[in-house]
Amino acid sequence: MKNFSLLSLLLLGIVLGCALRIPGSYGGRKPFHLHDVADGGDAARRASQHLLLEGLATDTQEQAPRARDFYERSLQVDPGNPYAYLVLGRHYVEQGEGTRALGFLEKARALFRGESAVHPDIEAHLAGLRGAALSASGDTAQAASLLLHAQRAAPEQWSDGQLSADELR
Amino acid sequence: MARPTQSRRRRNRIPPRRPRGARRDRRRGRSALFGFSSWLWLCAAAAFIGGVATGVQLKRLDHTVTQRFEGRLFRVPSRVYSAPAIVYPGLNWRQADLLGVLVRLGYREAESGDHSLEPGQVRWGTQRARVHLRAFSHPRRSEPNRDIELRLAGNEIESILELPQRREVAAVLLEPEFVGAYYGLDRAQRELVRLGDVPQHLIDAVLAIEDQRFLDHHGIDPLRVVGAFLANLRAGGIAQGGSTLTQQLVKNFFLTSERTYRRKTLEAVMALLVELRYSKELILEAYLNEIYLGQRGATAIHGVGEASRLFFGKSVRDLSVAEATLIAGIIHSPNGNSPYRDRATALARRNLVLKHMWKQGRLDEVTYNASRSVPLRLAHVTHEANHVRYFSDALRQQLPEVYDAAVLENAGLRIYSTLDTRLQRAAAAAVNEGLAELERRYPRLRGDKPGSRLEACLIALRPQTGEIVAMVGGRDYGFSQYNRCTQARRQPGSAFKPFVYAAALEPVGGGPAITLANRLDDSPFQVKLTHSVWQPQNYDHEYHGNVSPRSALENSYNVATARLGHRIGIDRVIQLARRLGIESHLPAVPSLALGVAEVTPLELARAYATFANGGIRPDLRMFEDLVAENGRTLARRDIAFERALDAGTAYLMTSLLEGVVDRGTGAGVRATGLRGAIAGKTGTTNDTYDAWFAGYTPELVAVVWVGFDEPKSHGLTGASGALPIWIRFVQEATGGEVRGAFFPPTNVVEVAIDPISGRRALSGCPARETELFLLGTEPVDTCPGDGLPAVAGHQRDPAAWVVDRFLDWLRRAQ
Repeated sequence: MKNFSLLSLLLLGIVLGCALRIPGSYGGRKPFHLHDVADGGDAARRASQHLLLEGLATDTQEQAPRARDFYERSLQVDPGNPYAYLVLGRHYVEQGEGTRALGFLEKARALFRGESAVHPDIEAHLAGLRGAALSASGDTAQAASLLLHAQRAAPEQWSDGQLSADELR
Repeated sequence: MARPTQSRRRRNRIPPRRPRGARRDRRRGRSALFGFSSWLWLCAAAAFIGGVATGVQLKRLDHTVTQRFEGRLFRVPSRVYSAPAIVYPGLNWRQADLLGVLVRLGYREAESGDHSLEPGQVRWGTQRARVHLRAFSHPRRSEPNRDIELRLAGNEIESILELPQRREVAAVLLEPEFVGAYYGLDRAQRELVRLGDVPQHLIDAVLAIEDQRFLDHHGIDPLRVVGAFLANLRAGGIAQGGSTLTQQLVKNFFLTSERTYRRKTLEAVMALLVELRYSKELILEAYLNEIYLGQRGATAIHGVGEASRLFFGKSVRDLSVAEATLIAGIIHSPNGNSPYRDRATALARRNLVLKHMWKQGRLDEVTYNASRSVPLRLAHVTHEANHVRYFSDALRQQLPEVYDAAVLENAGLRIYSTLDTRLQRAAAAAVNEGLAELERRYPRLRGDKPGSRLEACLIALRPQTGEIVAMVGGRDYGFSQYNRCTQARRQPGSAFKPFVYAAALEPVGGGPAITLANRLDDSPFQVKLTHSVWQPQNYDHEYHGNVSPRSALENSYNVATARLGHRIGIDRVIQLARRLGIESHLPAVPSLALGVAEVTPLELARAYATFANGGIRPDLRMFEDLVAENGRTLARRDIAFERALDAGTAYLMTSLLEGVVDRGTGAGVRATGLRGAIAGKTGTTNDTYDAWFAGYTPELVAVVWVGFDEPKSHGLTGASGALPIWIRFVQEATGGEVRGAFFPPTNVVEVAIDPISGRRALSGCPARETELFLLGTEPVDTCPGDGLPAVAGHQRDPAAWVVDRFLDWLRRAQ
């Protein structure tokens, strides 16, 4: 009986713990856009995010080299900004530099672990971009499963198998 | 009687004998005739030879002229620029040294009465600052002129508004700072301008004062020559030159300044040749780019483009009439009339030029009067900092091979580097002040001669991107160009130990050799070598028994580390160090574990950056773009990295190195009040030849080395010699507040252990502390122990185990 009570207490704790994490989860969510998180964090992070947004806007105008410069300036302001690595990973996928993209995506993944609240779509974007990068590098088998995962997790943005600058912006 | 003689001679066909006098007369007559013609011939021959010689000489001079004009007209040293400063709301503008950046960029304070600011002007108030940012060109990030207002709240920038719309902007980039150049022997610097970019009032000003009939003459101006001759005659010496612009250009291009007739003749002839071959526009453009206009320190300033930047901090196309006339006025005597030396003389010369322009109809009266009353406002001259040249030298090594010294000294390339000028200045100050402090504290360290002085180097980089942001290779580049950051291979001592621990903690071949719960043996230890026995000692000459890896590294125990290195195999340590970026020779000897291999500070910084970057090794880069004179990108260095160590091991290492700073040999960091995420390791060699501190925050890696160039003991440890310099630098770099944190990856777990036994601590365990483990490597034995293998739950009541864990969790959460 005593054990049963303690187990109940434990379960209650777990439920409470999950409840406390609700602000970080996005039930019935709308797709992730970078401008949704542009004003979060400290001053350096905000500036970094705005530089990323400028870069993405430039990227939509098919000025990829200039866009990359914005992304790199974004890193100069906040070298620990995971979104900057995600965006750069996407940029290199678009440029067909799969191997380079994988490095940025791995770095992004590592840094997102330190973020307090991450939109669930980020996981889909990381998977989808990784799939696209692997596809560009010739690893089509693994690429297909990752892209499929991204399509299921974030169908609005990954239905065509790619993530455009505009969709991310 | 004479006749028969004659007939006989005729018969004998002998010519009659002429009287002596007649013969002489005839010879005289013939000689006179020959003398005249020979002179003629001589003259003709001389004229011919002279003509040929002149022709040859002319041809030679013409060849000289065409070779120069049709080849590369100017040698332009390639310039190195810093990374651009970025200004954004929330930035601490004092800490970011915004004013200093603007001053170094040549921005000038606007007069309080000016409502509209010109590009390159700034007006600083108490709660707002207005800056008219200058345009700058770059293959990818060209920026137009932008008039902005910074709203200030104390030390912070509250918001940035772009004028005139007052649109709020999130960030603005300042143009990169010029930090140095690859000069040739003449140390001449110029910024080439095209004639089309030169404002007409500057052309008019130069012509008005230097050569008013430039467009009418053919290289020589006879009227000016006569005028100068008369003026000199009146003055009783040389008071006025008669040289045209073309002659001045020819003199600067091809001749010396000696005052001889030969030189003047050559000058005149070559001026005629130049005028014969080339257009006035080309000659004028060449002149405006060539003319010497003063000095910036040891560097000679040539051309109106460079002078415009030097004096007014702006592009030549933005010069006002008053500014253009000031430049034209100093051509006559660039140093004597320099506004930095004698403002009154410079202003008098400017007004003289204005007067000439007005009199010659090149300026209307209103502009003349207005320009005469404009006060002199000069940009602040910043000399190229000597310490940056260590960076520039190292950067040269990173450029593609085709850009050798000759190309860099002549081709006018622009190199956009990764240098952060604020951090570079902080690094230079930390090295110089730190060494001076050490010499004050330990007078024995003061060297008698410059070559025997205590030296240091500091290198700083961003671990995520591999950008080298600061590099000071010694205390005085002027004395020694030897870059101790990149060229000096020195023993790192204990700063090498983290590679031993990383090799032991890394899960290879089925798992790690140790976990942080293991105990290391710090008792007497010896290794038999071929001809000797190696027996490491601790710094305190004591042994500490069974110690945790954390304690062994925090306290830098040699014996425990040597045992560990020996146990896992020195090859494994070498292999890991290689992956992390150590390229120097690493001998496979037991003492390698204690850092006897010689490495460069740059290598060490790269290896530590891999720890800071979660096991991802960045490619180090010192430049982003190499751009040709015509604006084409010739080379680019992108951010690149590669995983060299698993994220979990990298995090364990960071945690251990944080302990060094919090409690161990690097505790001096905390003693100064520096807070935040900091990890690092001291290094001291046995003979105290070398003192090191290699440390990092989440955003910055810095390595400091202190020692003498010649092998000589200084008696300093890493903590007493290198660490104070590191702290000075990081305090200045971060403003005392370290940004960011080190985040554990998902494969690292925190477990409470008994610090004595290293077992997992459950409730009832007398002592407990938390330790980090790679997932799956946590200790299974428990404290209090039951003697049974304790894969928890297998041997115990499951419910009791769950309760135990839950209570543990609650305790930790409190």
